Amino acid sequence: MIETMFSALYAMLTSPYMMGLMLLAVAIGLVVGVTPGIGGRLSIALAIPFVFGMETIPGAVFLLTMHAVNGTSGQISSIMFGVPGDGDDAATTIDGYPMAKKGEAGRALGASVTASGVGGVIGAIVFAVMIPVLEPVVLAFSPAEFFLLALLGITFIAFLAGREQIFKGLIVGLFGMMLATVGMDPYTGTPRFAGNFLFLWDGMSLITAILALFAIPEMIALAVKGGSISAVPVATAKYSYRELFQGVMEVPRHWWLALRTSIIGAVVGMIPGLGSSAAAWFCYGHAIQTSKTPERFGKGAVEGVIAPETGSNAREGGALLPTLFFGIPASSGMAVLMGAFLILGIQPGPSMITDRLDLVWTLIWALVVGNLIAVTFLLFIMRWAVLLTFVNGAVLVPYIVVMAVIGAYVSEGQWQNLVILVVLSAIGYGLLRFNWPRAPFVIGIVLGKIAEESLHKALELWGLKFFTRPLSLVLISLIVTTIGIAVYQNLRPRVTAQQPPVSR
Amino acid sequence: MSRISRLFTFAVALVASAMPAVQASGQSGADYFRGKTITYIVATSPGGGYDTYGRLVAEYMQRYLPGATVLVRNMPGAGHLVGTNAIFAAKPDGLTIGTFNTGLIYSQLIRHSGVRFDLERMSWIGKAANDARIIAIAQQSPIKTYRDLIEQKQPVAFAAAGIGSAAYVETVMLTSALKLPIKVLTGYNGSDDMMAMRRGEVVGSISARSTWDPFVRNGYARYIAQIGGDQTDVPQLADLVTDPAAKALIALIRTQCDVSRLTAGPPDIPPDRLAALRNAFRLAMEDKELLAKAEKIGIPIEPAYGDTVLRLVTEALNQSPATIELLAEALTRK
Repeated sequence: MIETMFSALYAMLTSPYMMGLMLLAVAIGLVVGVTPGIGGRLSIALAIPFVFGMETIPGAVFLLTMHAVNGTSGQISSIMFGVPGDGDDAATTIDGYPMAKKGEAGRALGASVTASGVGGVIGAIVFAVMIPVLEPVVLAFSPAEFFLLALLGITFIAFLAGREQIFKGLIVGLFGMMLATVGMDPYTGTPRFAGNFLFLWDGMSLITAILALFAIPEMIALAVKGGSISAVPVATAKYSYRELFQGVMEVPRHWWLALRTSIIGAVVGMIPGLGSSAAAWFCYGHAIQTSKTPERFGKGAVEGVIAPETGSNAREGGALLPTLFFGIPASSGMAVLMGAFLILGIQPGPSMITDRLDLVWTLIWALVVGNLIAVTFLLFIMRWAVLLTFVNGAVLVPYIVVMAVIGAYVSEGQWQNLVILVVLSAIGYGLLRFNWPRAPFVIGIVLGKIAEESLHKALELWGLKFFTRPLSLVLISLIVTTIGIAVYQNLRPRVTAQQPPVSR
Repeated sequence: MSRISRLFTFAVALVASAMPAVQASGQSGADYFRGKTITYIVATSPGGGYDTYGRLVAEYMQRYLPGATVLVRNMPGAGHLVGTNAIFAAKPDGLTIGTFNTGLIYSQLIRHSGVRFDLERMSWIGKAANDARIIAIAQQSPIKTYRDLIEQKQPVAFAAAGIGSAAYVETVMLTSALKLPIKVLTGYNGSDDMMAMRRGEVVGSISARSTWDPFVRNGYARYIAQIGGDQTDVPQLADLVTDPAAKALIALIRTQCDVSRLTAGPPDIPPDRLAALRNAFRLAMEDKELLAKAEKIGIPIEPAYGDTVLRLVTEALNQSPATIELLAEALTRK
């Protein structure tokens, strides 16, 4: 075992061909990740013709690396411009963009890029460690647990919204859950709030909703305010490598948080059926809930950047587990990856562990090395990218709005989503203008759907008895504790009488 | 000038004017596509079976349409309805064709509100495969044969994809026509059904064989009956039932299996262009390189062409009111 482990690493590092492939894969993965709306799924589907002729191991390493670093670059636009590329980047935006506004884009990017790398590496380690216990852990989570996990995530809204704003937070969160009900009813098969608009039958486009709630309102606000994203002028601000390095050092300073959120991310990724955005939001919620100073979140807390980024990259390691060993992909991205693996002659299934251990280790190392290459590369170029936050908004806004519009269109290729983008942007700007929290919206729309679907299934399978499953009881007690803490914090006499309005 | 000579001039003029037309249409078969771009719509998102077949077909059709470019465009949405509506509504110039789920035959039969196409009128180019349906049962279940299944006293749970999907329709129709002791649980999309079977939540699934083969090879499930396909390792469901109504229904599902991974265009593509497209499709299906690739990916190629596919589709759409009622019943939740 140990021998296979290191010989796989040695074979990879000493082969110029493999390293060249990985560099190429990292570059493609990062470029694709920057553009909102184009997921890793599409990039793999497009790369398939090119891997047809490749040998099994190089081909698999190429595709996996490309997929794994895809999420790493999405955070750049989330932090610098408030333009999230997908559902999990939106979690990074909430604290990342306020940091950029304070002129700390360098620190935020340093921290988030490092956090992604750390998350990716820990995810790979969790992958390796979990192999023996994969089966019992994954099989313990059924629709009943999915429902309760989604519910637990929804209760995080109480913390996200902050003490002053719990009712506003709930209203926005419920609005998100309402939008999650648009589309085909999973139980009766009739379109809900969708009429004959076929583009709504699969539900509201998540990426469009997120761009409308975060990106466009921020750009309107920037245009109205004038000046640049960073409120601090370029002369006094720090955008040097030192600033970036300070950001990098934030991760070891918060190592305990980074470790926990990486493990949460990897475990959430392991369970097929929870959806890919859930991991980042669980981690973000966890960071606030365990923070001693939760009121800093949403105003540029570096933990709010570290937590979702570790989580979303660690998820990939976790998601690879059921894909490889059960032949059951845990996410749509993994489904495409698995299709490509079949082309390469890899037959996912339990026999992988006995027959193809060399391949398994090579893939684990590819996750580690690929993430490290991506981090190094990004940290190197980031210094200049940060300068963009000091550019006058009048120059920047049109480009970013165009980017957001393209993102909303290409994610599903339906022009009708542009109408949705405009309508929801108006609501988004209203929320921003009047200081209502926006994060609960994403939680509502992401988790609302999972909650509804799994509740239906759980009730059909076990009726109300599903609440008494052992793991369900654990989750229920977690939910009760979370609500208890929230209520206590709300009833407790205020320490600070006057707090400035919080924008999240 | 006599009348005859005037007639003669007229006749010559007629022939002369017809000649270039004949020539033009002779040219505009394969030559029409020279330097043009054909959009091949895949009615699902990237990845997955339809996308794989679509990209393969597009790549090799391009090879046999000299000078033409075939671009794949994914148009997912509403269970293939968005993409299929787009293909049907496209300009019938032969430059838009595509692929979608054969299960839309069911949707058209019950006049589903999202259907804005008529499959019978579409320009059929061909189909690439058969996709047998199987009844899969979890390995740990005591149900070993079809007989065991119908003798169950308590209904057993079966997983199905979203309501309205072809797999769901078939599961519900078979359950009611064969009076199977099955409780259908819906919403198991993608490979959720396999996961549910591993967890022991559900006992079985009625689904496409190609998707389940790896799962069965891994020893997690077994097949107890099959519809369509030429494999002989599993008994055909049609041989296991005697009721004529049930047999008719199985025959309908069988058509679905026979016409899988199809390629079609909007109605009224000019015949010469359609002939060129069909010809390119046929040559693509016979291409050694394509066959080798398909073999490597593990996807079967069992092609049929043009009018044969049209005939199969027309037959499938020609159902008795009783069957249509059964279908409609299957699609409304009680």
